[in-house]
Amino acid sequence: MSGQDRKSKEYGAGEAVKAFTENKRVRSGESASETASAGGGNAAAYAGDTWRIGGLELTSRFFLGTGLFPNPFVQTEAIRVSGAEVLTFAIRRVDLEAAEDDSILQHIEPGAFQFLPNTSGARTAEEAVRIARLARASGLSDWIKVEISADERTLLPDPIETLRATEILVEEGFTVLPYISDDPVICRRLEAAGAAAIMPGGAPIGTGLGILNPYHIGLIAEEAKVPVIVDAGLGTASDAALAMELGAAAVLMNTPVARAQDPVHMALAMKLAIEAGRLAYLSGRTPKKRYASASSGLESLIVE
Amino acid sequence: MNDSIIVIGGGIVGLSCALELRRRGADVTLLETGVCGGQASGAAAGMLAPYSEVPEAPDEFFALCRESLELYPAWQRSVREDSGLDFEYTECGSLYAAYHEADLPALESRLRWQRRHGSSGRILRGAELREAEPGLSGEVRAALWTPQESHVYAPDFVAALKEACLRSGVRIRERLGALELAAWEPRIEARSRGGEVFAAGQAVVCTGAWAGEWSARLGLRIPVQPIRGQICAYEWREERAPLRHMVFCSQGYLVQKANGTLVCGASEDVAGFDTSVTERGIARLMRWNKRVLPALGQAEPFHRWAGLRPATLDGRPLIGRLERAERVLFAAGHYRNGILLSPVTAKLIGDCAEGRPLPDWQRAFRPERFGAAAR
Repeated sequence: MSGQDRKSKEYGAGEAVKAFTENKRVRSGESASETASAGGGNAAAYAGDTWRIGGLELTSRFFLGTGLFPNPFVQTEAIRVSGAEVLTFAIRRVDLEAAEDDSILQHIEPGAFQFLPNTSGARTAEEAVRIARLARASGLSDWIKVEISADERTLLPDPIETLRATEILVEEGFTVLPYISDDPVICRRLEAAGAAAIMPGGAPIGTGLGILNPYHIGLIAEEAKVPVIVDAGLGTASDAALAMELGAAAVLMNTPVARAQDPVHMALAMKLAIEAGRLAYLSGRTPKKRYASASSGLESLIVE
Repeated sequence: MNDSIIVIGGGIVGLSCALELRRRGADVTLLETGVCGGQASGAAAGMLAPYSEVPEAPDEFFALCRESLELYPAWQRSVREDSGLDFEYTECGSLYAAYHEADLPALESRLRWQRRHGSSGRILRGAELREAEPGLSGEVRAALWTPQESHVYAPDFVAALKEACLRSGVRIRERLGALELAAWEPRIEARSRGGEVFAAGQAVVCTGAWAGEWSARLGLRIPVQPIRGQICAYEWREERAPLRHMVFCSQGYLVQKANGTLVCGASEDVAGFDTSVTERGIARLMRWNKRVLPALGQAEPFHRWAGLRPATLDGRPLIGRLERAERVLFAAGHYRNGILLSPVTAKLIGDCAEGRPLPDWQRAFRPERFGAAAR
């Protein structure tokens, strides 16, 4: 589905990526084409751990934003290395009359990705709905990330407007993924309104502060019947791994990759962290204990 | 400074560094494998627009761009005086056009930080916007006006820089074919394809999109990639309503030049070192630019060209002295801001060559920040 089956171009991360995919193929005993069709380069290939949003089956658990990259080369490479199947962008920045020739979207292989356009910049439900309709009418996608910020300083989502927009857009047949604060109660309400996934923020957009309230994210993931995607505020790979260990179905980010000193290697780091976190979640961690307990037992230390 | 220095690369950055080093008393030789200004410098639209190019936050890159913009008035005047040549330098301000209500929050927050950093800009709407730029499409809801931005006619400016270098005593050697770094201790030795050896106390590498070529030789990871930028120009003589500002939008920019042309850029893509223009690259410019300036209507560009912009992994240039090869300085990877950043780069390289430490915040541009070359 994604660009995984394209030849790995030699460039920085190239070696690491190649080594990683080849290693996986050997261990999972799959043919290269099977791996590619499953999304490629993903831990899911070990366990058949796919997931769904709406009618779409996904292998990658990494949603990547397309903005802020320093240039088209770095953007293309980072997307390729990430293994992402879903890409997001702000509708207001896109030339909807010729999306295939848009300054950013022109660099993305047509048909290779599920697009998740967002309504960023909207301040009310009505504005978000209008933007969503524009995106669908242009044929870009009927998936929509509802993003309605209450103010420019924090860009925190307005929960009331977000809920209203979600209700309207679900009614109109969109696949709605609302970006929302990490509040378990509003997340419940969004699910009840028909959201296809819930996207609580780890921290305010672009701050890189990581998951400020792991308790809430864990609770949201535990309660939701739809996928929970931690969206916004992550800074580095351990943040992504933590999101997955807390039970998130996926992670969405842009700034931590695009604004890293080396965005291509950071995309790879995030992909590996997401897979590691997911596997750790599935594998069940050992309980935390207050005192030491020797892994080989004290009696083994006694010299006869 | 009475050191001998070779500057490698005759683009705008190399010429500016050579001129600055010569003014500070160095014995300067500039080496160019082709001809001066033959690559990105000659192809540039000459936008001097840090506020439009860096919309997100006042980071180190913005600070560098702004410092350079503020150096420009005096710098271009001195180049004019030293060369005796004329070139267009126009302080006309810019407009950043927004087509959606949803663009306004981002424009407002951008304006807030930019006003704290030297902009006297405002958001223009309605009648005020039409009055400021009558030719603008009615589809444009609002625009961010930044009076501080300006533009220069790059081909003439580069020619003047070269002349200023020659008149001030810089030796310029062109058409050397290829250059290899034969030694960097105990002195710099660069060897041309013809076998000629140029020796000096220090070298400044200003090879733009080709800066990565010496990566293996220096054992340094220099991740610079050429990004092709395609541009087109229209005849825009007196009978046309003039475009008073540089106009930017999410898709590119338009600028009117004093020579009666309207320049529209740029379509970027990854095409290695290929500088040909493509049908698609120009067609997309012709599609969106009518939505900025309806007067473009059925107009056909009379000129289409492309240049290779040297892009680094983090979008920031490589400026400074190498720790692993102390006689080697880098001034490369300026991407689409080479014209804008040339005065500040020349100043920093002048300071480096004199052995002065760069201010702490400029460590963001250290040429060694990407680490050692992979073995």
